[in-house]
Amino acid sequence: MKESEGRSPLDTALRAMAEDEAQLGASAGIEARLLAEIRSIAAARRRRIAIAVCAAAAVVLFALWIGSQGFPPARSSETRVAEVTTEFMPLVYSSVPSTNLQVVRLAVPRTALVSFGLTPPEPLERASADTVLADVLVGDDGLARAVRFVRPAADQEQMP
Amino acid sequence: MNEVEDAQLLERSRRGEESAFSELYRRHQAGIYRYAVHMCGAGAGDDVVQETFLAVLRQRGRTDAPRQTVAGYLFGIARHVVLQRLGSKYEPVTDSGDDHVSEVASGALTALDNLTRAETIAAVRAAVQSLPPVYREAVVLCDLQEMEYAAAAGVLQCPIGTVRSRLSRARALLVTKLSAAQSTAVARRR
Repeated sequence: MKESEGRSPLDTALRAMAEDEAQLGASAGIEARLLAEIRSIAAARRRRIAIAVCAAAAVVLFALWIGSQGFPPARSSETRVAEVTTEFMPLVYSSVPSTNLQVVRLAVPRTALVSFGLTPPEPLERASADTVLADVLVGDDGLARAVRFVRPAADQEQMP
Repeated sequence: MNEVEDAQLLERSRRGEESAFSELYRRHQAGIYRYAVHMCGAGAGDDVVQETFLAVLRQRGRTDAPRQTVAGYLFGIARHVVLQRLGSKYEPVTDSGDDHVSEVASGALTALDNLTRAETIAAVRAAVQSLPPVYREAVVLCDLQEMEYAAAAGVLQCPIGTVRSRLSRARALLVTKLSAAQSTAVARRR
């Protein structure tokens, strides 16, 4: 085999080998499998979002339903500078273990506050007249474990 | 291959865009396949390619750009898969300064004129395959994939000087093996 100009015999031989292998590649089925995996991941993601939305809706319903248990209002020891919160009040799934709890803040109907035996403050603005803020503890399985209500700083002066 | 386009394709692939992923796959699968075949054998090519691109899909939450080229990033993942497969067969070597020895050995192969193209390819393939994995991957990346030394250093996670040293040693070993192959071919024809 003749060597190319300016190349060593080894370079020429390696180049010949590389050219010989240029058409090699993975089987066609591999790409199809990977594309199927993309669709599967997308479908799983859509399912997770749907579960999260359902869980948020369920939290509001639980909050309304559980009102009959009458949890007393209390000032939180971990009160933030700008707001006052109640203690976390357990919900139906509070006994289900979870390793990764997250706090999700929602606006819930004022009636939810009443159903927990709490006195709703007078709203400062008409826009917030129908809702109050709540922090919901949600596990990585989407189940709500507990809820607490939040009084924003601006509302505090109006509370008795 | 346009690196900006590659980076965009990677970003879009991580977001789950099928068309971008297909293009990224078509650009890089063949090189990764050949690297895997040289390192682990013909049966491993498909598996390594699949595992490499699956790893990309599973990093969908990531938005950071790779620290190296996209090709280097993909080869880095592929190398991780390859090393898992090789296990203890991949023995790290002490990269001593043996450039002088390599240069002497390089001069020993004057030409491969006595071999046909097919014989040359077969002889080189056998010689590459017989190299220790640590030297083989330097030849595969730098000589066969034509990767720049800096990019190869990124994939191999070592300094550029180490890449040069390994490549030099690998080429010296190849010259020795090819010289022997040429002598055998000449003797057979007499």
